[in-house]
Amino acid sequence: MNITQLTLEQTPPLSVPFRFFLTAPLFGILAALLLLGSGPTIFSSRWSLEVITLTHLLTLGFISMVIFGAFLQFLPVLVGSPVPYPRLVSTLLHLLLTIGSLSLTSGFMMTQVVLIEMALVLLGLSFIGFMSIIGYSLIRTKSNAATVTAMRLAWLALAITVVLGLILGTGFGYGYNLSSLAKLTNLHLGWGLLGWVGLLIIGVAYQVVPMFQITPPYPAMVKRWLTPLIFLTLLTWSGFYWLFNLNNFSWILFGLMDLIGIEFSLFALVTLQLQSWRLRKLPDVTLDYWRIGMIGLLLSFILGLAGLIWSDLSDTPIYQLQLGILFIAGFILPVIQGMLYKIVPFLIWLHWQNQQLNILTPVRLVKIPHMKQIIPDRWARYQLWVYFISLILLIIVALYPSKLIYGVSMSFMLAFALLTYNLYRSLWLYWSVSQQLIAKSMMENPIS
Amino acid sequence: METITTLLSQQHHDCDKLFAQAEESVATTQWECASVDFDRFRAAMEQHFIREEQILFPQVENHMGHTEGPTAVMRMEHQQMRQIFTEMAACIAHLDQEQYLGLAETLLILMQQHNAKEEQILYPMSDNLLNHQLPSLLEQLHQLGNNKA
Ligand code: HEM
Repeated sequence: MNITQLTLEQTPPLSVPFRFFLTAPLFGILAALLLLGSGPTIFSSRWSLEVITLTHLLTLGFISMVIFGAFLQFLPVLVGSPVPYPRLVSTLLHLLLTIGSLSLTSGFMMTQVVLIEMALVLLGLSFIGFMSIIGYSLIRTKSNAATVTAMRLAWLALAITVVLGLILGTGFGYGYNLSSLAKLTNLHLGWGLLGWVGLLIIGVAYQVVPMFQITPPYPAMVKRWLTPLIFLTLLTWSGFYWLFNLNNFSWILFGLMDLIGIEFSLFALVTLQLQSWRLRKLPDVTLDYWRIGMIGLLLSFILGLAGLIWSDLSDTPIYQLQLGILFIAGFILPVIQGMLYKIVPFLIWLHWQNQQLNILTPVRLVKIPHMKQIIPDRWARYQLWVYFISLILLIIVALYPSKLIYGVSMSFMLAFALLTYNLYRSLWLYWSVSQQLIAKSMMENPIS
Repeated sequence: METITTLLSQQHHDCDKLFAQAEESVATTQWECASVDFDRFRAAMEQHFIREEQILFPQVENHMGHTEGPTAVMRMEHQQMRQIFTEMAACIAHLDQEQYLGLAETLLILMQQHNAKEEQILYPMSDNLLNHQLPSLLEQLHQLGNNKA
């Protein structure tokens, strides 16, 4: 915690996080296109190339993309150390992640080993770069706040995920049969979804849920124990899963997985409870997205339990796929979209403010728009509804595969297109107000 | 034990409550309540700012030997918030609900990220730096409040 560095420069240029935020929804549109192109057969098996492509369009192109941007923006604030050379670093990471994700997914789709090999290099570099920067800050900060602990654990989980991903990708390149790598794949996705993204969301929630809606803080016990417990449970599960023969130990494995489910459900229930105690009662798109996310999380747990009780359900080839769909589309994606609707307008506003402070005389010459003018509530809410409907339809299709998949893909496409519109429109507004600010400053100080 | 962190963090929470109350009154177009609530909120914030700007920050700056750095950022953010207060007051005067709610949203995030930085970095650091004079400092922080009230 180097306090003297807590300066204005800590706010990196707007382009640093925005290049990530503005790329993410485009990957969402690609994912919807893929659904449309594949039709009803896509959800017939977990091991199809379409499914793996779809997963990575979302986990790399959307989820990791937004997380990269958010980290580069907020890490300095959180731990008091700015990212060095922010423009250069973000340009490189962004290019590597974007091209890497595109070549991995197109490599899967077209079974082109060259593309996959290229992707492994690019993605490897981008994650190693990202993790070094984040890791350095997380080590240097002396803070042991619950959020920082969660991020450290998430960092470890990401390391495991990426290493396994690279191994899987290499195996894939050498033509291994996909399902023969099933054990490694399950470890990879467990650490990716539950560890990296799941722990991160919990850590971020500790900060933002009380802030945005003015709720009581998370109970100290939860903050202290929950993320380490999830991490340990996941680690134990991985150990058993990797070392022992499945059949002898299946009850332990199921038990441990359900324990993870219980731990995450606790988080969801506490969050919903805190939100119901909020002092700010006004309608809010971010709040609604988070509530959808928490319910999606609870539903994934319920589906997990149901699978334990009725083996008819869990023995179907698409059961694990259904779980993954609920967890990604029902929990992770809503939470991330909710965050974007707060972060994006605020950052734009903040940069106008700083611009005004830097270039203008104290008199306010340009009235800068407030957050609700940057992304109007009405448009955010349309987008929320379309996403919500898509999600319901998706769950139906995941349970009963049918031609409805075309409807699902169209409505997802609309949801991500609206998200794209909302975000790009805000950027356009940013530019036009910025231009006015600059023009005024020229009139004020023609020499400068 | 009372520290700078506990005392001033508590004030943040008190201000949050007043903020929510004022926003609620505007949202339900109870303009008379809104005006009273907003004034209370603004006064509480102002009092908190003054405690920091006149008592805490000078001590911290004394210790660090310069006025740049964290306290300068905090002062600047106070100014940004004051600017929004002025605009919000104008909205109440003109019964402009939409503008008020938009400003309130903006203020909330600005205020919360400001508070987070203070509560997680600046206050604990102050407790450390100013350890030896803590009792008298806390006394001063309390007093300023009482005089104004
Ligand atoms: C360096 C980055 C990554 C690479 C190279 C990579 C590679 C792979 C490969 C090759 C598979 C297929 C394995 C198989 O089916 O046998 C796979 C599966 C999977 N990966 Fe990744 N991955 C990466 C990052 C991630 C991340 C960050 C996440 C989640 C946050 C993730 C989530 C998944 C999931 C959920 C599956 C299972 C898909 C299914 O079962 O159909 N991956 N990954």
